[in-house]
This record gives sequence, C-alpha cells and structure tokens, in this order.
Amino acid sequence: MKLKIKYNRLNRGLYLLLMLALPMFSLGDDKVNALFDKANQLYAKAHYPEAVQAYQQILNEGYQSAVIYFNTGNAYYKMDDMPSAILYYEKAHKLAPNDQDIGINIQFANLKIADKIEPQPEFFVNRWWHSFILFLPVNKLAGLGVLFFIGGFALLIWYLFTRSYIIKKATFYVGVIGILAGIVYIFMANRQVSYFDGHHQAIVFSNSVIVKGSPDLNAKPLFVIHDGTKVNVNQTNQNWIEIELPNGNTGWITADNVKDI
Amino acid sequence: MKKRITLIIGLLLCTSLLFAQGKFVATASKTNVGVGEQFEVDFTINAGGTHYTQPDFHDFQVLSGPNISSSFASINGVSTMSISYGYILTATKEGTFTIDEAAIVLNGHTLTTNSIKIKVKGQAPPQQAQQAQAAAPDDNPKVDTKDLSKQIFVRAVTDKTRAYVGEQIKVYYKIYTRVGILGGQPDKAPDLNGFWNQDVQSKGQNTWKSEVYKGIRYNVTTVKQSMLFPQHAGDLTIDPLAITFMVELRLPSRNVLDDMYGNVKDLKYSAKSQPITIHAMALPTAGKPADFTGAVGNYTVYSDVDKKELKANETLNYTIDISGTGNLNLINSPKIAPPVDVEKYDPKTNDHIVVDSNGVSGSRQFSYLLIPRHQGNFTLNPVEFTFFNPSTQKYVTIPTKPFTIKVDKGDAQANVPAFNSSEQQDIKLLGNDIRYIKTTSADVFKDGEGFYNSALYYILLLLGPVLFIGALFYRRWMTEYNSDIVRVRSREASRMAAKHLAFAQKELTAGNRSAFYDAVAKGLYGYLSDKLNIPVSDLNKENIITQLQARKLDSTIITQLVDTMDLCEMARFAPVTGISEQQVFDKAKNTINEIEDKI
Repeated sequence: MKLKIKYNRLNRGLYLLLMLALPMFSLGDDKVNALFDKANQLYAKAHYPEAVQAYQQILNEGYQSAVIYFNTGNAYYKMDDMPSAILYYEKAHKLAPNDQDIGINIQFANLKIADKIEPQPEFFVNRWWHSFILFLPVNKLAGLGVLFFIGGFALLIWYLFTRSYIIKKATFYVGVIGILAGIVYIFMANRQVSYFDGHHQAIVFSNSVIVKGSPDLNAKPLFVIHDGTKVNVNQTNQNWIEIELPNGNTGWITADNVKDI
Repeated sequence: MKKRITLIIGLLLCTSLLFAQGKFVATASKTNVGVGEQFEVDFTINAGGTHYTQPDFHDFQVLSGPNISSSFASINGVSTMSISYGYILTATKEGTFTIDEAAIVLNGHTLTTNSIKIKVKGQAPPQQAQQAQAAAPDDNPKVDTKDLSKQIFVRAVTDKTRAYVGEQIKVYYKIYTRVGILGGQPDKAPDLNGFWNQDVQSKGQNTWKSEVYKGIRYNVTTVKQSMLFPQHAGDLTIDPLAITFMVELRLPSRNVLDDMYGNVKDLKYSAKSQPITIHAMALPTAGKPADFTGAVGNYTVYSDVDKKELKANETLNYTIDISGTGNLNLINSPKIAPPVDVEKYDPKTNDHIVVDSNGVSGSRQFSYLLIPRHQGNFTLNPVEFTFFNPSTQKYVTIPTKPFTIKVDKGDAQANVPAFNSSEQQDIKLLGNDIRYIKTTSADVFKDGEGFYNSALYYILLLLGPVLFIGALFYRRWMTEYNSDIVRVRSREASRMAAKHLAFAQKELTAGNRSAFYDAVAKGLYGYLSDKLNIPVSDLNKENIITQLQARKLDSTIITQLVDTMDLCEMARFAPVTGISEQQVFDKAKNTINEIEDKI
C-alpha cells in the first residue's frame, strides 16, 4: 500500500526544475517595458534624439538587448550619424547573429559611409561554419542545449525502468539522439562565444584616420580610413591597436579613434 | 565759345606742367546750358590709369555714363593711348554749378582733374542744336593725323555695371569716327569668361547716326550687341573688342590738284575698346526656395493638357510654357510627379526665343508625354516654377494649375507589348529604406546575466547525468532487492491479504455470508502461505502454528489466528452464532496486522 512508482516522481521533479528555469528566457520588467514603449513612440514621431536618449536610459540600467541596440541604431541612422548607427547595429548583431532585419540595416548603413571595402571572399566551409554557429543567439542555443540534454537523460531514465520492449527501444534511441543534439547546441553556444571573443571588433569614429605601419606617431602612413568603418582589432600595444580591414589590410592606429562593439 | 576754348587750353597747360607723365583732364561740351539740355562731360587720361573715382554730379542728372572709351594708336613707332570716362548730363535747375574733380591713380600717384563751372540758364538755346545738326564729319576743316585716336575709336557700353548672377546685361560695341572708313575687321570675338553670351543678330546694314561725344560730333554705328548673363559671383571683366580699320585720311592740300581731288591717304589703324568690369552679385540666400534652379528674369507660367479624359494606354500631352525675359535658355525642365503607374517620358523642349536690343525674351515650352496605364482618376499636381526677379530682388514662385484626368478602361491590346498577355505585372519598387524598429518586446537581460555560463546553466547541465546515474544505482538496488523470491513473496503477502479482505468487505456489504467467510479464509491462508513461505500443499493449521512458533510469535496472536481460522471454516458449513461478520472481519484484519508488525 505504501509502495510508489519512484520514477514518476523523478520526472515530475524534472518538469518543476524546467518550469523554474524557463522564466530566465523572458525576464520582464515593467519599468523597462514602459521606457521601451515611450522610446518607440518617440521614434515613430521622428523625435530621434529623444528616442536615442530613452533607449540609452534602458541600457544605462545595466540591461542589454538586441532589440534595443537595433532600435537605437535605427534612430542614429535617421539622425544621419552612421558610425553610431553601425556601432549599435553591430552590438545587436552580436546578440542576435542570425536576425535578418539587423543584417539588412547594417548593409544600408554601410552604403552611407565613406569607405567601400570589398571583403576578402571567405572559404565556403568557413562561411558555412560561421553561419552554422551564428544560427541562433547564444542564450537560446544554451537553453536549447540544456533542454535537449535533460530531455535525453530523462528518456534514458525512462528506458531504465520501462518494461515495454517498444518503449525501451524508442526511449533509448530518442534519448541518445537528444543528448547528442544537446551537446551540439552547447558546443555551438561555446563556439559562438569564442568567435565573438576572438573577433574583437571596433567602429572608427574619427572623420579620417591615417593608419600607420607600426605603433609610432612617426611611422610610415599606410592608408586612410574614415568614420563608420568596421575594423578587427588584432592586438593592442599601450595606446595603440593593430587593426585589420575586411580586405586584409592591417596597420596601427591609436585606440581613441575607435569604439569597441 | 571763346571762353570755353581758353578755359580748356589753360587747364591743359596747367596739368601738363604739373604732370609730365600723365594728363588727366576734365572737359565739358559746353559750359552754358539750358535747363533740360543735354551736354557731355569727359574725364580723359592719356595713359592707363586705375582706381577711377567719379565725382558727385549732385546738381545734375546723369543720363548715361560712365561711358568708357579707349583708343590706342601707333603711328610710325609713336604710340599714343587715351582712356576717357564720359557722362551725358542734363541740368535740372538754373544757376551756376561746379562739377567736382575726378581722381585716378597712375603709377602710384593720384591724379585729379580740374573742376568745371557750368552756367545753367532758363532755356536751352535752340541754335545749339541746329549747329550740331549742321556739323558734318566731312566738313571738318582739318585732320590731325597724329591724334587719330580722337578721330576713330571703339567704345563698349553696358547698361549696368552691377548685376545679379543670371541677370541680363546689354553690351554695345560702337564705332565712333570722324574719318572715312574703307573697311574694318574685328580681330577676334572677345572672350567672355564668366558670362553666358547671346549675340543680337544685326539686321541688315549698319546704320550710321551722328552723335556728339565729348563735344565732338562723330558718325556712330553699333557693330555688335550682346546679352550677357554672369555665371558666377565676383568681378567679371568684359574683354575689349579690337577692330582693325582701313581709314582714309584727308591731308592738307599741297597744290591745286589736291584742292580739286583732295589729298587722301589710306592708313591701317587698330582700335580697341576699354575693358569693363561687371560686379556680379550672388543671388540672395535668404528666402531661396529649395526648388530654385537658376532662372533669373521675369516670367509667367502657363500649363495645359491636351485632353482631360482618355482611355488607358493612350497618350496625354502635358505642356508647361514659361515665357518672359531673362536667361530663358538656361531654364531646366520643371520636375513633374505624376502617379507612379502613369508612364512619363522626358520632356520635349520647344524654344521661341528672340534676342534683340531689348534683351532675351520669348518662351520655352516643355512638353511631357504621359501614358496612364490603368483605369481611374488621377491628378496632375501643380508644378511650382521659381525664378529670381532682379528688379524686385525677390524670389517668385508661380504654381501651375492642377488637372484632374479621367482615365477610362482601355483596350488591353493597345500599346501593350505582345508578350505581356496576362494582367499580372511586377510590383514596382519605389525606393528602399532601413527596416523599421522592433516594437513587440524589449527582450532585455541584465549585463552578465545571460543564461549561457550562468550558475543555473551548469546546474541544469549537470542535472541530467546526475539523475541518470542516480537512476542507475536505484535500479541496481531494485534488482538486488527483488532477486530473493521468498522475501518478495513475504513483502507481497500483506498486499494479497488486503486484496482478499477488500473482496470480503464487499461480500459483507452485499450480505453474501458464505462468500464472505470464504474470502476471509482465503485471505488468511494466502497471507500465511506467502508470509511463512509454506507451499499451498503443506498449508494446514499445524504447520502454520509450528512455523509461527519457530518465528517466536506471541501465543495470544497464534490463538487468535487459529480461532479466526476455525471460525471461518465452521461458518462455511453452519451458521455462526455469538459473533457478527463484522467482528470476524476485524479480527482477521487485526491478526494480519499484528503478524505483519512482528515478523
């Protein structure tokens, strides 16, 4: 009479944990939402500087969000401040790498800046690999990974205790596939984070910068870049940073010419 | 007359004594004039001076001037030149007035002229005019060969020296001569840098008129007339026009034959007009409309359509006619904006532009061909034409009339390319813009509080394997626990008994007595068989009692058990008295519970 089916309780506990974890993905705050609505209304009325201020207020609270970065970028775009617009679009891109709207607006903003740089064609495997690991934002990848991982193990636990042969077979294979999928997602999240960490990028904010051959004011000038251009930062040397353009050119400029993404 | 000559001679002497290099003299055609009578005042320098400052003619009205003329003559290696600034004045009131000095800078020195006293009487003396009429160039008594520059020269005259960019300036090049001209040839057309130039086509022969200039009567003709439009702001120079003449000089007669036929000599002589500086002013930026494209002048605009109702795919002519005076040739076609699915072609321009001595005038007509492709009404919005009026110094915008055009359903075949058989067409892309902001959800999270790499993330990641390992251990324990069949049966015994007793209870409430006792007995025997691991074949009271005693069970419980078992057996065959079924049931249940507790 006192006997109970233990593994049912186990599963119930698992669901409970997931229920607790899920709100992490949609953390809402009334104040933030109010500010967000206000900023959107200001944007709709074409009060762009005020809209930027309101979005900035949310960011100053210590929040980050691809949507807010994107909207801030749009407001800067409408104010014709392309370097700032690109900076915020790129920040948004980092949080939501596969978002089409962000990609399109980056292209629009890049049409309005002084430098036109033809990027070096990427090896197609690399291109596929990047579009694979940038498929979803890192937090979504991590969430999916955890979900599949736990789900896979839950199925395996079910496999251990079920008596039915068919269920045993099904749970085993589906569970193993689930665990593998979870591992893939976690790996993708890990790769994406290391991709963005490794790709230290910055936007040029000075009107025109002479890029030097070495970190020295008297060094030989190599080429000139203008505001709004995105550069990769390869290394830093005191006040100087080594930048690399998408077309492969590298050189040194002082760090105060750029803003990090 | 005598007085005038002495005055001039005196002044000439004075100035020549003072300035050996350059002479700058003022001369008046007459010093006694009537009110309303025209006379000329000239300031002449016999070298090239700069920074000419004109006197203030406050007592006189300036009818024309400064009319700048220059002459340059080179005869037998001796070259002479003179520049003269002439004015045509008229007196407005009686009295004696003074014309002040004019000044000019020559080689760093400032030269000033003498001042001239003019007496103005009540009436213009009529005989003066008659005298002037009577004077003919051929009647001149003698010709000074050395001073040919006074005899023949070219003057450039403009109607203004300050003009807005795009405002028209008239320039006349005039030949003044007192000698016979056999022929003349302009050296080259002047370069008019900074101007847009439109020459006035001269009609037929040059007409000679007589004109008094600097007190001397000349035969005058206009050789060239141009309309100039300054193209940019700043001081622009109208280049001089140089003309080479063959002139016929009449020399003093040396003998009787000369008296009869004239002592005439032909001479090549080159004359050049004085360059004129035009101060071109930029158009005012204040109040400049955005759609201003550079039209300067005075215009009217008229627009029309050739039909107001037509079928789709038929053509519609929309004309905008701009007429007036000004830089008509520089007017661009106004931008019209018909609805998008009305096809628009580049306008055809028709000019009716006349260039004459009054300036450039006429009309320019822009004719747009429109083809509405779809049925419905559309409106041709007013086109605004903007120009700058230099006389009022204001920008003027004239809107044209709007037209509403009714388009009826047209023939599908007409004007539509054959391959486009279906009604479908591509969506026209009017422009592109950035994607709009996202407004659905802010989707925020705190810095450094992303799910990835958070504590919860790792806990949840570990949860799966940990639970799985836990489950593995649990299962191993379970198999071990269930592997001893005796213990399993013993554990299952109470459950089996409970099952039988529950059945018994059901029979009891149904009032089925014999079935009730049967169930209770089955429950008791079944329980003991499982609990004590006695096979059903060996299941009898003695065996049960010895087994229970071997397990050191209280004798009271054993007695109770045996009692209950006996009672059940008896009740199967005979009615039981002294004890109710409920009591039997409770007794059996208690016994099982007590055995379960002890063993």
